[in-house]
Amino acid sequence: MQNKLSIYMLTSVLLLIGLAAISLYVGVYAFEKYSFTELVRGLFSNDGTITESDRFVLLGLRLPRIAMAILIGSALAVSGTCLQGMFKNPLATPDLIGITSGALMFAAITIVLGSSIKPYIPQLLHFSLLSIMSFIGALLTMIMVYRISTNKGKTNVIIMLLSGVAITAMGFAVTGFLTYISDDDQLRDLAFWNLGSLSDASWTKNAILAVIITISYFFLINKGKALNAMMLGEKDAEHLGIPVERIKKQIVLFTALMVGASVAFAGNIGFVGLIVPYILRLIFKSNYNIILPLSAVLGSVLLLSADTISRTIAPPTEVPIGILTAFMGAPIFIIILIKNKKSM
Amino acid sequence: MLEAHKISYAQRKFTILENINFSVDYGELLVIVGPNGAGKSTLLNLLANEVKHKDESVLFKNKTFEQWDEKELAHHKAKFSQSNNQDIPLLVKDVVIMGRYPYFNSTPHKEDMDAVQKAMEETDVAPLAQRNYNSLSGGEKQRVHLARVLAQLDNNVAHRLVFLDEPLNNLDVLHQHRILHTIKNFTGRGNTAIMVLHDLNLAAQFADKVLLLKNGEIVSHGIPDEVFTRETISKAYNFPCIICPNPVNQNPLIIFGT
Repeated sequence: MQNKLSIYMLTSVLLLIGLAAISLYVGVYAFEKYSFTELVRGLFSNDGTITESDRFVLLGLRLPRIAMAILIGSALAVSGTCLQGMFKNPLATPDLIGITSGALMFAAITIVLGSSIKPYIPQLLHFSLLSIMSFIGALLTMIMVYRISTNKGKTNVIIMLLSGVAITAMGFAVTGFLTYISDDDQLRDLAFWNLGSLSDASWTKNAILAVIITISYFFLINKGKALNAMMLGEKDAEHLGIPVERIKKQIVLFTALMVGASVAFAGNIGFVGLIVPYILRLIFKSNYNIILPLSAVLGSVLLLSADTISRTIAPPTEVPIGILTAFMGAPIFIIILIKNKKSM
Repeated sequence: MLEAHKISYAQRKFTILENINFSVDYGELLVIVGPNGAGKSTLLNLLANEVKHKDESVLFKNKTFEQWDEKELAHHKAKFSQSNNQDIPLLVKDVVIMGRYPYFNSTPHKEDMDAVQKAMEETDVAPLAQRNYNSLSGGEKQRVHLARVLAQLDNNVAHRLVFLDEPLNNLDVLHQHRILHTIKNFTGRGNTAIMVLHDLNLAAQFADKVLLLKNGEIVSHGIPDEVFTRETISKAYNFPCIICPNPVNQNPLIIFGT
């Protein structure tokens, strides 16, 4: 079984690499005139194989954007899978239960009200302030939703989804109100966060994301066994030597961290945490030993494809990426609802 | 093996258990019986450390559960619980493998797979290994979890302990007896089993000791011949019965409603 996992893992990583190579080529600004080897050599050696402006577009715009799609897609998919394991339901994803909205609300407040203290703090802290506030927003909503919807390890799915609706409504009200007291720049920022986009990618942001994701995966990615055992019920999982309470705290903390950072840098990108585990479950059932590590790669594949399409489908403009993920996610949401009709 | 000292338990001022004292020896098969609401499952949960309590009311191998390492503990004791109506979208074999989780990190070893296979054969679920757990009948699910518990305690630890909460629910006569023989075998090798059962005749046939509970108190505790007397049982269950020696194996045979 573990051998199979390595094969699937390898296949999906290769798929991701191929996709990244394709994504590097396509876009409003085209590089068809270079072959792939020329591009790679030009990037690394700066020997004039490619022109200075091409080099800038590649290194400063397109590559960081590809990297960010890979990082955020992976983080969102793993967050979704972990939350589904903790809530024991395939509908528990950061966006549907309101965690994204919570992070978004705190990000919006920071953008508008934080501008008064912006000039006095350095640029790096600036990024961090937004991520820290989104993280706090995500963490608070997650704790709240879990407390409201779960009793003695059993989640009431309807309450869980409705608390998501309530928090989303709250976030909508707050951001709606903020648009009336913000200036033009802030308005543009708010719109960006609400629709979600990877167009503001930079290497600094990618570095912060990479650090957060590495730390989170260190704790989360090997929790497949624990999430499987928790399907038996939390008491029975404890009899198997699984420290259930500690694991739940880790999941809450690290998914909040990853969702918070994703929202801070790319805004509201929905449904990734729903689509990826759903597809994996069709093939591997709910075996978290397999779907948790695979969702880390397939999340990247999904978001990178979506972002590449969003850049190329309607040139010269960009379709917000959230629209594309919603096109895929919403039907899956409905399918899961129909399948779960009896058990709700 | 396991000692219970003055266990009392109340939920919202409603007493469920009151002042329970007893101990279980190595190699003993203890069956807890009693009418509905006597506190049998609650007692089992307390003994198995599902309800956290700080005092030294339960000692397992002369240590409180707090003093045990949780991973280590999973090699010494296991529990079969009653609530098996969970939605588990996995293959049967993947559910049974969970019993080996305390033994491997990411990849099951050969001895883990052997233990799984052995446990599945013992509970007669080996032919179901590739089926979806959710598609099984109640009795089959029950046996899958019994296989999981057996696989968990398949190791070289001397004196292991298994808790079983009504393991025979939904099982047909053949499987009831097979499971009980398996457990009897297990305790025959110096291990201990504490089991809640409803069928008094099966208890009389297989138990080394019987603990009769009513209203959260111990009514009687001893070998089946001591506990299963006409007066004690009629009173505890509030229902008339007669007790005669079983013509086959001379155990007490309880006949209700006479």
